[in-house]
Amino acid sequence: MPDTAPGTVAPERRVGPLTRTDFVRYAGAGGDFNPIHHDETFARSAGYPSVFGHGLLTAGVLAGYAASWLGRRNLRRFTVRYVGQVWPGDTLVLSGEVLRTGTAEDGGTEVEASLEVHTEAAGRERRLVLRGGATAAYPAPALALAEGDRP
Amino acid sequence: MTDRRHLVGHAYTPYTFPVEHGKVREFALAVKDEDPVYHDVEAARAAGYRHLPVPPTFSAVTSHWAVRDVDVLRLDLRRVLAGGAEWEYLGDIVAGDVLTVRSRIADVQEKTGSRGPMTLMITEHEFVNEREETVMRMRSTVIEMGEQ
Repeated sequence: MPDTAPGTVAPERRVGPLTRTDFVRYAGAGGDFNPIHHDETFARSAGYPSVFGHGLLTAGVLAGYAASWLGRRNLRRFTVRYVGQVWPGDTLVLSGEVLRTGTAEDGGTEVEASLEVHTEAAGRERRLVLRGGATAAYPAPALALAEGDRP
Repeated sequence: MTDRRHLVGHAYTPYTFPVEHGKVREFALAVKDEDPVYHDVEAARAAGYRHLPVPPTFSAVTSHWAVRDVDVLRLDLRRVLAGGAEWEYLGDIVAGDVLTVRSRIADVQEKTGSRGPMTLMITEHEFVNEREETVMRMRSTVIEMGEQ
């Protein structure tokens, strides 16, 4: 179980820079062939400067970060809200913070964390592209073990 | 704009999806997740799974197996944005499982945002394994911007 005091921050992680090939790889793996993510001509005709990454690609990278921080078997809920696009050449900067810690019905600990993804690229300002959240649950320590610890 | 409010409650034809070992690995690589549990059955077993578990957003893979009997939403892909999504994890999903996915349109809202009129469409998905255990629920929001 990670340190779960409210205000605890997760170590920042950088992923990227992401390339058009990363978008195509995600299209194949996830099965989303909306041409706006791989066809430059189509993306421009829709008014965008270039193709951009799938929201679910960024969400998938963030979910892996949340799972490695909070423990993948402990993850109960994961949410994302997309607020900006990820362009070719962007590096994802992943961060997280514990918001609340409570006691679950079974006596275990429930932790709620906020998550964010910013993008960084040379010559561009750092931008928030995704807000997320995660809930993780940790079982109560076994009673026998706790008693065994007593002097 | 197309009025889609009458579509609330529409249930899509359920479909089944076999969770394949290779697909789990491929998806983990695509989202740059280096946790060995997605790549190595021994690591997965050491972590307490029967086989390779799926990454948390793997539901994206199943959605493209959906039976497109009628694409009732009739989206214009040039004007569509992903709004957000939420996943609720109720049990393990591992390679070898066969999921049945039941999806319905949960809500349709017409809104006016900073970029003009838009339609928000929320779809709910329930994932049940071959042992009739509901292992995951997911809700996703798709936004279609109004025509310029």
